[in-house]
Amino acid sequence: MQEKGNLRDKAELLQRALGFFAKEPMTFMEVCGTHTVAIYRSGLRSLLPKNISLVSGPGCPVCVTDQGEVDAAIKLAEKKGLIFATYGDMMRVPGTKGSLRNLRTQGADVRVVRSCDEALDLALKNPTKEVVFLGVGFETTAPSTAAIILEAEEKKVRNFSVLCFHKLVPPALRLLAESRELKVDGFLLPGHVTVVIGVKPYEFLPRDFNISCTIAGFEPLDIMEGLVELARQVHDKDPKVSLLYARAVRPEGNTRAKKFIRRVFDEADARWRGLGKIKNSGLRLKPEFACFDAITRFDLDIKEVPLPSGCKCGEVLMGKLRPEECPLFSIRCTPDDPVGPCMVSSEGNCAACYKYSYKVMR
Amino acid sequence: MMFIELGHGSGGRPTQQLIKEILNIYGNQSNKDMEDCALIENGIGVTIDGFTVSPRFFPGGDIGKLAICGSTNDLAVRGVKPLYLAMGILIEEGLLKEELLKVIESAYRVSRDLDVKLVAGDTKVLPRGQADGMYITCCALGEVLTDNHWGIKNLYPGDYLIVTGPIGQHGALISALHYGLEVDELISDCKPLWPLMEPLTSIPGVKCARDCTRGGLGTVLCEWAEGSNIGIEIEEELIPVNSEVVSVADVLGFDVLHLACEGTAVLAVDPDYLREVLSSLKKVAPHCSVIGKVTEDHVGIVGLKTKIGGMRVIDMLVGEMVPRIC
Repeated sequence: MQEKGNLRDKAELLQRALGFFAKEPMTFMEVCGTHTVAIYRSGLRSLLPKNISLVSGPGCPVCVTDQGEVDAAIKLAEKKGLIFATYGDMMRVPGTKGSLRNLRTQGADVRVVRSCDEALDLALKNPTKEVVFLGVGFETTAPSTAAIILEAEEKKVRNFSVLCFHKLVPPALRLLAESRELKVDGFLLPGHVTVVIGVKPYEFLPRDFNISCTIAGFEPLDIMEGLVELARQVHDKDPKVSLLYARAVRPEGNTRAKKFIRRVFDEADARWRGLGKIKNSGLRLKPEFACFDAITRFDLDIKEVPLPSGCKCGEVLMGKLRPEECPLFSIRCTPDDPVGPCMVSSEGNCAACYKYSYKVMR
Repeated sequence: MMFIELGHGSGGRPTQQLIKEILNIYGNQSNKDMEDCALIENGIGVTIDGFTVSPRFFPGGDIGKLAICGSTNDLAVRGVKPLYLAMGILIEEGLLKEELLKVIESAYRVSRDLDVKLVAGDTKVLPRGQADGMYITCCALGEVLTDNHWGIKNLYPGDYLIVTGPIGQHGALISALHYGLEVDELISDCKPLWPLMEPLTSIPGVKCARDCTRGGLGTVLCEWAEGSNIGIEIEEELIPVNSEVVSVADVLGFDVLHLACEGTAVLAVDPDYLREVLSSLKKVAPHCSVIGKVTEDHVGIVGLKTKIGGMRVIDMLVGEMVPRIC
């Protein structure tokens, strides 16, 4: 109970600091979906001075999974005698025809796992069935996918493969920085991703694009503190990458996790939902691990599929549109009946907006 | 083609919609109050509830205890003294008889303590693979002890909202077990609410109560706000919740306000009777806490003042709760 007033006092102090530095209008983007949800959930926007606007970025792993990738996953999961293992968030993401959840309802063997170890366990326990793990997520989940592939190789598991749609954050940030329409003064950088990759991959942002950057934690006060530092950098014309999440992030990142990624994956071009193809922004299994690559193993064709008509996921993911400005928001696209993954994922920008503030707007 | 999905059983909006469709078929032949139990003729309250839980034995309870607590709690929160039970058990072929009897003994102990009698029952055995161990359905019947018939219709701006204890314990425990998280300190709050509610039946200022089962405290408050002409405002720092529950919710990406309770209720109380209600509750529920108020403003909406002083909306749970990626 002692903490009670304390949190509010600290928030008020940070609020005043924000007011001090934000003498002119500033726009900051929180890149990570976990930040987006924390911002909505804590009602943080209601505490920001008028001069500060927050837009959300492409940092929700479910949201950036391309329509063609979702379709390929669903097509594979339909296969008889196959167990399709996925993180829960992907269950409700709509493909062109239905979702993994719909498939499960109709009898397909789709299992929700919390980690890829569980998927490998499924393969060991069901030796007569093919088990495919849907590998999505950024640099945060890629190391464990890599580790599990190495484990599968060591244990000579022959019925396990990964449908690998892992993506990398820095190339997407470059795309955003290069975009002329997007006017962002600073990035609140993703804490979890940075735990793995470290600080260096972001250094081009202040250097080449004059964009302020802060790596912050996920508690509401961490986020406010991050915003204060961003506002300070803009105010002092001192763009750089500030690390305010040192309790979890080492500047060089997690070298072991990075080694796992390099051992198993090659960088490859990847298609992001609404953002299109981004150079070297995805991870593909190295040829030597081809037998664990579901794309090769099942000869999958990842097609380029257009977004449903009217769907503005791309603009929302790039912070050009607020969720409520998308013409489908709350009309054709709701958490009950979503059109795009941003309305499905617990970290999705549109879902968070709908869940935590839509009723007020209505 | 529409299929029944797990989300239809989560207690949130899809569940409500499904129930409405079922009741529509019954038209005027049904009770559309959407309360936890029905108050029928001659001062009788009745409810029915089905139970499935995996694992069947968990820290703090088992499916037998859960069935008796769950069904009698639905009576208790409407001020109805539980008196009689009817129980139906569906059993999968191959279940250990010992296990079945252990579950029934556990159910018996709660029934004995509450002084409710088992007066009717049924058992069916299904071929292996057609059920998951066992399911219990419990119908509970009792005597209405209140004059004002606790219910949503009594809610009025200015009423205080009280929760009887820390929220989300059962939901956090079952989620942790389901997703393989090891949290030793977690224990279900599964317990009968009648000992808490009985002393309150003689206080006229109690307006409405609900046990926060599927969908959690958040969903109950949304149902209250949407089901009557009021708004609700609560404060995050006043809501009792244990740190282990917060950890589980954080790891899985759940909102503690959506995690199920199985022995924790929320009450609305007239301001003039707040002190009396609290002093009665504190004797049996030392962690009860006033969490907010019914408001005239923002009708249909539940607002939450967060720990840092921000404001946000609480919505019902949509679909099944699934863990997030990172």
